[in-house]
Amino acid sequence: MVLTMEKMQDTFDPKPRKFIVWLFVVSSTIMFGGFTSYYLVFAASKGKGHGLVLPDAFIYSSLVIIASSITLVLASRALKKLNFSLQRNLLWVTVILAVIFGVMQFNAWGSMVRTGATLVGNNAAISFIYVVSGMHLLHILGGVGLIINALAGSYKSLPVAKVQYRMEIASIFWHFIDILWIYLYVFLLLNR
Amino acid sequence: MSTIALHDEHNHDHADHGHHKETLISKYIFSMDHKMIAKQFLITGIIMAVIAMGLSILFRIQLAWPDKNFPFLETFLGKWAEGGRIKPDFYLALVTIHGTIMVFFVLTAGLSGTFSNLLIPLQIGARDMASPFLNMLSYWFFFMACVIMMSSFFIQTGPASGGWTVYPPLSVVAKAMPGSGMGMTLWLVSMVLFVASSLMGGINYVSTILNMRTKGMDLWKMPLTIWAFFLTAILGILSFPVLVAGVVLMVFDRSFGTSFYLSDIVMGTDILPNEGGSPILWQHLFWFLGHPEVYIVIMPALGISSEVISVNSRKPIFGYHAMVYSLIGITVLSFIVWGHHMFVTGMNPLLGGVFMITTLIIAVPSAVKTFNYLATLWRGNIRFTPAMLFAIGLVSFFISGGLTGIFLGNASLDINLHDTYFVVAHFHLVMGSAAIFGMLAGVYHWFPKMFGRMMNAKLGYLHFWLTFIAAYLVFFPLHFLGLDGVPRRYYAFTEFEFMKKWLTVNVFVTWAAIMAALAQVAFLFNFFYSIFKGKVAPQNPWESNTLEWTAPVEHLHGNWPGEIPTVYRWPYDYSKPGHDADFIPQTVPFSQTMSSNLPHDFEGNAEAEKIQQDWELANPVEENKG
Repeated sequence: MVLTMEKMQDTFDPKPRKFIVWLFVVSSTIMFGGFTSYYLVFAASKGKGHGLVLPDAFIYSSLVIIASSITLVLASRALKKLNFSLQRNLLWVTVILAVIFGVMQFNAWGSMVRTGATLVGNNAAISFIYVVSGMHLLHILGGVGLIINALAGSYKSLPVAKVQYRMEIASIFWHFIDILWIYLYVFLLLNR
Repeated sequence: MSTIALHDEHNHDHADHGHHKETLISKYIFSMDHKMIAKQFLITGIIMAVIAMGLSILFRIQLAWPDKNFPFLETFLGKWAEGGRIKPDFYLALVTIHGTIMVFFVLTAGLSGTFSNLLIPLQIGARDMASPFLNMLSYWFFFMACVIMMSSFFIQTGPASGGWTVYPPLSVVAKAMPGSGMGMTLWLVSMVLFVASSLMGGINYVSTILNMRTKGMDLWKMPLTIWAFFLTAILGILSFPVLVAGVVLMVFDRSFGTSFYLSDIVMGTDILPNEGGSPILWQHLFWFLGHPEVYIVIMPALGISSEVISVNSRKPIFGYHAMVYSLIGITVLSFIVWGHHMFVTGMNPLLGGVFMITTLIIAVPSAVKTFNYLATLWRGNIRFTPAMLFAIGLVSFFISGGLTGIFLGNASLDINLHDTYFVVAHFHLVMGSAAIFGMLAGVYHWFPKMFGRMMNAKLGYLHFWLTFIAAYLVFFPLHFLGLDGVPRRYYAFTEFEFMKKWLTVNVFVTWAAIMAALAQVAFLFNFFYSIFKGKVAPQNPWESNTLEWTAPVEHLHGNWPGEIPTVYRWPYDYSKPGHDADFIPQTVPFSQTMSSNLPHDFEGNAEAEKIQQDWELANPVEENKG
């Protein structure tokens, strides 16, 4: 019996676990779908949206997060060529861009507060901007965690298949939250 | 032999399959083995069910004897039952927490958590879940959610009491009533953990089913249990996140003073500052989860009873494909019917009409399933095991509760019936009792797989008949209260002239509920006694075809020693004409059952058909041999 127990150590199969990340992406999409449909129904029933000119910081943060996706793609390519040091450097750049993104978001909230459009108030549409961008920022935190996980895998020189797997799940998730932010930003622009 | 060589290649980095050295903690507490996690879910679910049942007996006592004092209540409940009489606030807390526990903790986590975990890897032929670690996390989030929910009984203001649907403003304005304060906060925290647990579980189930089936196990060879768990998990993944969205907005309203759900509220002489929000929007977000949720509750039970009924009728399930398509139909339709909970919110009648039509269409797949159960039973060689009785009980409740759904789904009738005891009677039969019976059927049927021992059948029969009769005695009379317009959740029937005549019925219902509760003692004793002292189970006690019964009785991490078995046929080859035994496990290839193979078994494989034809020519059937 003991010897046969080892048979289950089937070769490392990343597929089911990558699928888990995809399913998480689906459920997260649904959650933001829930938020934005709240907003649509709310705005339709009141005949008004948030009515704000969105802070410029959101434009910069959008550019930063697009840039971070690009650096992440480059990191994946570096890994494919087994250029680990380039991969690590590019991952660090991505992390730094993520931090800049976070700072930009706080910046945007700050400038909204200065114009009087605060989280707490009687316009739920304005509060909504804080809530969705905040929830998105939580996702960014998770994404940074995954990128650091990939970095750690690279530094620990795990087997290439595992480094690749960590890289892939980080990429799936990071590109998702990139697209998610663009969606949210465009949504807020279009539904003033 | 080759397995010996593999021993040294043991990959220690691969922590998810960790069976390095089993300690008490890694085996029984932070276990990553799906079978142990299933047991953890089951036992936690049973404990929560007993608690929720106890709560229901408490409020039934209040409903039956609103003017009597029961000093023992004060002993247990202290200030919540001063003078031996339950206070109105606490009464509301009781119905709220009873509903919350039953719907989420027992019939979602207790049911899906137990049987998805136990059966998915075992029935599809996998070593474990896609991510055993997430699976473990899923249980511990659930456990924390239970603890936090129960902790609200130990704070002065008591648990949440605005109903399990936690409609604003009661759930948002902390000063609205005692239960809206700390109790409601704990409810929200608990539910956030619960949803996280459900999502981790559901995502794992779907990924496991789609990626980790053994050789030969294509989707159309999966048992109906797996189909049901699969579609249930998909429902959870697609609907729970919407509840999260709603809950996040609610937390902001409660704790930060936003106005997502609040507008124009006056409390006494205070005018609250909130403006512009809409409590109806919470209802939309809640019921977009809430309606799929009732199918999350019932579909695993339907899957379990499909399997149990087929095994114990010794017949193939009638209409396997129709069963799957009706589950898919229910899954899809469940997302476009939530408005039927909101017919009386001032909804546009045209929209109400749309929701009514989609709702009534659900009767079609539901009826397909019901008729298929009956057709499976028809002229079967029935074995009335306790599990079988509970599965038949499910069919009974599903029919009698489903019929009243047709009344309630009708927008114009619902204006009268909304929020009355008719609704209470309806859902307690169709999803409450039916799902509980499905769960119990599963417990009796798979107990030998879980614990390696058999439950006592005689106690099982006693448990079944008492519970079955008592459940009808409790819920059937409630329909008539509802038709008379008696609203649910009211504290004292003595306070309203038109409700007084129903007091005697309430007394009757309460006695029936007490009988149902006592019947569970037979189950609890049987369950816990049999874990340690039950008769040792044979490998395949029910002579069943599915893969889990090919795994050894003693549990091992990885389920099968050596190779995972290969699957050759669907799981419902019972009483196949021409075969000597009345069941053919999925692992038996067609080459071993030449006398019973049918042309469609080969799925158009010309070579196999040719071999079969040659064999039949060489071995002509001797007729009238007696």
